[in-house]
Amino acid sequence: MPSNANNIDRFKQSFREEAREILVELESALLELNGNPEDLELVGRVFRSLHTLKGSGAMFGFDELAAFTHHLETAFDEVRNGRLKIDSELVDLTLAALDQIKAMLEEDSGNAAADSGACAEILAKVRQMTGTAESHPAGPVPEQASPADESGATCDWQIRFAPGPELMLKGTDPLLLLRELKQMGDLRIVASMAAVPPLGELEPERCYISWEMVLSTAAGRDAIRDVFIFVEDSCELSIESASSPAPSAAACTPDVTAKALEEQRALSGGRRIYDKPSNASSLRVPAAKLDQFVDLVGELVTVQARLSEIATRRDDLEITEVSEEIERLTSSLRENSMNIRMTPIRATFEKFRRLVHDLARDLDKDVELTIEGADTELDKTVIDRLSDPLMHLIRNSMDHGIEPGDVRAADGKRPTATIRLSARHSGASVLVEVSDDGGGIDVDAVRNRAIEKGLIAADAVLTEAEIFALLFEPGFSTAKQVTDISGRGVGMDVVRQSVESLRGTIDVASKRGQGTSVTLRLPLTLAIIDGLLVKIGNANFVMPLANTLECIELTREDVAKANGRHVAEVRGEILPYIRLREYFNIHSERPEIEQIMVVETEEGRYGFVVDQVLGDHQTVIKNLGRFYRHVKFVSGATILGNGTVALILDPHRLVKDALHANTRGARGHSVAVTGSRRPKGD
Amino acid sequence: MPCLRKELVLSVVQEESQELSVIRLGGSVGIASAAELKKLLLQALGSGKEVRVSLESATDLDVTAVQLLWAAGCEAKRPGARFTFIEAMPEEISIALGDAGFEKVSLSK
Repeated sequence: MPSNANNIDRFKQSFREEAREILVELESALLELNGNPEDLELVGRVFRSLHTLKGSGAMFGFDELAAFTHHLETAFDEVRNGRLKIDSELVDLTLAALDQIKAMLEEDSGNAAADSGACAEILAKVRQMTGTAESHPAGPVPEQASPADESGATCDWQIRFAPGPELMLKGTDPLLLLRELKQMGDLRIVASMAAVPPLGELEPERCYISWEMVLSTAAGRDAIRDVFIFVEDSCELSIESASSPAPSAAACTPDVTAKALEEQRALSGGRRIYDKPSNASSLRVPAAKLDQFVDLVGELVTVQARLSEIATRRDDLEITEVSEEIERLTSSLRENSMNIRMTPIRATFEKFRRLVHDLARDLDKDVELTIEGADTELDKTVIDRLSDPLMHLIRNSMDHGIEPGDVRAADGKRPTATIRLSARHSGASVLVEVSDDGGGIDVDAVRNRAIEKGLIAADAVLTEAEIFALLFEPGFSTAKQVTDISGRGVGMDVVRQSVESLRGTIDVASKRGQGTSVTLRLPLTLAIIDGLLVKIGNANFVMPLANTLECIELTREDVAKANGRHVAEVRGEILPYIRLREYFNIHSERPEIEQIMVVETEEGRYGFVVDQVLGDHQTVIKNLGRFYRHVKFVSGATILGNGTVALILDPHRLVKDALHANTRGARGHSVAVTGSRRPKGD
Repeated sequence: MPCLRKELVLSVVQEESQELSVIRLGGSVGIASAAELKKLLLQALGSGKEVRVSLESATDLDVTAVQLLWAAGCEAKRPGARFTFIEAMPEEISIALGDAGFEKVSLSK
């Protein structure tokens, strides 16, 4: 039936999404394990991830994936049991296997299939490591009843199963699990009631009972564990091979078991220990639905602004009250919807551990990646589009920034180079930085290359920052050799385009011999922000509220006192300002008293002079489109309640442009307006 | 596949006399009615009467029901309290409990 097929597709898609997250977690754990091969917790993390991947994969019909993962799981089970050691070979092998698993995941969705030759090679090596014979090379996961023990002999397994307290509430009946276990062989089982509290204290839906069992079966440990696959994370489970002959039923009496349980409880301080399941429940929602939701909230904010406008115009108390109430609700709704979209940058950062690991191996360089601020949250859309630029920056850094080991040694540097990925909040922006302790940028080489390529004149006078900015020009590369990794000058151009499409900026700082740091300043969100609505002549503008510190008056006397310089005195301190009327070439009568918006920028505090501050404004950001993409100091536009358009200002770029104009001496004061800069909406 | 619970529906018939409280549990006795069963047992045991429970019409018993009945049996150890099971338990329930290791666990103390 079509609905069934749809459901299956939906489940498969849901598994794919979950599996992708598991693979990121796996990669990260494996790479950590490379540096800490003795860390059993990491081994456990890898094992559990593989186990979940296998179990869920089999359930959703990804049989090949499940069978393949089964062998890896076996290897890490061997590690858990101390029979196999973690070394770089096992880590690399598992990483290669994860690449194949990724391909298997996407096979169904019509993408490239896994490389069967590579899979077979990986499996052969894994089997060699674990000492297991070849079996089920591409078939489904071994059935539970199939013998894991190659001899097919019956073994006795001592099993202890203590369900987590929430098991029943999650919809699982432990009795059904026990019944499944019973089908695997001869099961002797004793329930322990020792943890059941008095009736008055008993939480009726909680599970207090645990079980001690002896199972005689030809099935192996994995097959037994598979019975508990969906509850393993929230229960105590131990499956031990009984070294002595299987105990007789008489030996496994309730008294004996109760005594053993009592001893165990005494040892653990009378408390049962569970893998703590996360308390935070979550819901997976398709990103498109979320985008639609935020779009609707944006529309609502615009309509609400219209209502506020009408209420103010009509001067009707009742309408004003309703309008204010709606404004409060809209504001809360907006804040909530924005928060839903905020995602920690961790997953994006963690992905690069693998890239650094692989590139370090390919380039024969010793490089470690350090990650800071991984919990910094950014809008999902921004995060989604950040992977590519970061990848190019890291590749570039690994290839050109980090020197070969012998060069580092000759310079007296630590043999292990460091690439640092960090994120932190700064006002309404997030700063994402990629830095390295490599050789730094050769300013002269960049300059000469730019002259060669005709990007600048031979006698051009450029600041260091301007020279660094040339690195992001299309096709620019100073690399002597084009490698697989970089050198074609494509990557950095992609970085610039991606960051600019996110309305972000790039800053490069570098010191010869000490390293380079590239900082991306990205907006927290691309949807709706809090803004301050201001007016110059008949034009409206919005300044992001997060950057705005205060508004102060600027009288004609203040202007006269400054002798024509664009500075004001604020509580004894000098504040440079930009007169937006001049900047945007707006010809209208200047009011007696103007307003200075004091704004925190990357370059320090600056003032922006406007005619009038109208008040705060929930600003739904609309793109200006391709035609205006070169208007750098405007980050978008918004529609006001009366239907007119207000441009959203980018204070950082405005100040940078002003400083740039000053440095270049383009004008006598800090701002310059040229035809190309003037926004059309004015 | 995960072992999902069945939908559980409990039917209770309570017969009260001056000295006796008889609780007849029918249908599936499980988590859906666990809170109700606990309340019922506490009330019956708190009344000071002899409590008799019949599982004759029960079709299914899950872990939560076993825990509650076992705890009620323990409660009846207090002086003056009496708690017993009457009539035979259906065979399939008896087998299921045995399979789950409750064979040696006496529900009535």
